[in-house]
Amino acid sequence: MTYLSFFKAECLTLFRSKQRVVNALLFFVLVVVLFPLGIDPSADFLAPAAGGIIWCAAALSVVVSIESLYKESYADGTLTQLVVSGLSLPWLILIKVGVYWLAMMLPLLLLTPVFAQMLFLPSDSLLVLLATLLIGTPGLFLIGSIGAALTVSLKQGAMLMVLLILPFYFPIIIFSTAAIKAIQFGLPYGGLLALLAAISLLALVVAPVMTSLCIKASVR
Amino acid sequence: MSWIWFHKLGSPKWFYQWSSKWATAVFLIGLLATLIGVGWGLGFAPTDYQQGETYRIIYLHVPAAVLAESCYFSLGVAGFVYLVWQMKMAPIFIKSMAPIGAAMAAIALLSGAIWGKPTWGTWWVWDARLTSVLVLFILYMGIIALQNTLEDVTLANQAAAIVSVLGLINLPIIKYSVNWWNTLHQPASFSLTKKPTMPMDMWLPLLIAVIGFYCLVAGLAMWRMQSEILLRERRTQWVKEKVMNDGV
Repeated sequence: MTYLSFFKAECLTLFRSKQRVVNALLFFVLVVVLFPLGIDPSADFLAPAAGGIIWCAAALSVVVSIESLYKESYADGTLTQLVVSGLSLPWLILIKVGVYWLAMMLPLLLLTPVFAQMLFLPSDSLLVLLATLLIGTPGLFLIGSIGAALTVSLKQGAMLMVLLILPFYFPIIIFSTAAIKAIQFGLPYGGLLALLAAISLLALVVAPVMTSLCIKASVR
Repeated sequence: MSWIWFHKLGSPKWFYQWSSKWATAVFLIGLLATLIGVGWGLGFAPTDYQQGETYRIIYLHVPAAVLAESCYFSLGVAGFVYLVWQMKMAPIFIKSMAPIGAAMAAIALLSGAIWGKPTWGTWWVWDARLTSVLVLFILYMGIIALQNTLEDVTLANQAAAIVSVLGLINLPIIKYSVNWWNTLHQPASFSLTKKPTMPMDMWLPLLIAVIGFYCLVAGLAMWRMQSEILLRERRTQWVKEKVMNDGV
């Protein structure tokens, strides 16, 4: 196995189990729909809240769907093979998470303008929203991957994983929605995007190592 | 000064024997200091000219909040020690300390809410300091949940250590939230390095209460660690002998 063949295999596996990604996207759609139905469908409420709604929905769908990232390969022994393959486990994890990020975020980014329109988000905020999603979600996926690896050996680990990982999502959500609010009030938002990028980069450095520690502890 | 006694504490047996000598004494000192500090603060310290009598909740709120942060810091250090050196005592410490820290965070949040009602006119605001302490409480609960759910001990140790280390990032946010963001919560009222901003007879009981809380928590943690050690080392000879000789 090489890094390239692993990358190809990951893409193929994900393509063949596309229902997983579709489910996560449907979950995202449903959470977004809950807000106008549950709170207030008027533009007065939705326009300022749209960025936050989309971000909360995105964070929830990421944390719920990434829970099963390692489940299948843990059950069929592939995960053990990765550990003993002689390749660097953190890099393999990075590839796995990266492929999953691409597969989920491309359709989600395409969906976002549609939902921004339905939630009456002003069009100048849309670009900032897309930018925060593009910069912030790698952090969500990388942090989520740690939680997925922690609970990989549990049959009913989803609740525990959400409970553990969601607090670490708070800063990402706070800075993203702050950036969207900033553009709505005409304030500079570059610094907030930079902070978001900093969080994602920190996660990029820390998360693969932490994930590989958890996987090694799980697959003994 | 020789540090051998300190390194020996990494062994559960030595720690058990060493802490049996200290736990009760430290706990009693802590209890005494807490009673003196809190009693002095609640009953005898001068009334604040702005907040009146309500400020007195500081004598419960500040020590609890300080301890909530210190306990998490110690969890993070123990987690790091476990991840790097795989020391046996570190996960025992994490497991014993997490519920204590959670209790401290809960006391800080509740007493803060009770203080907030008369001074700010509201039980809760979504202020940076309050929110980050709430996150701290959730982190503690997450660590407790993790250890109760994972049945494999090695995995539970590793997982708790990792979450403890990751959660350290929350501490500077709590500490500097009152300086970075312009919030309702007042800046730090208690510091050992700076000149106190309150008169001596208000500050001294607070200092005693904080020291008391530290000792109280240390004593409780040692007791909890002792029972955890007995549980984890139950297959070893020394625990068997101890139980046979002294009973449980």
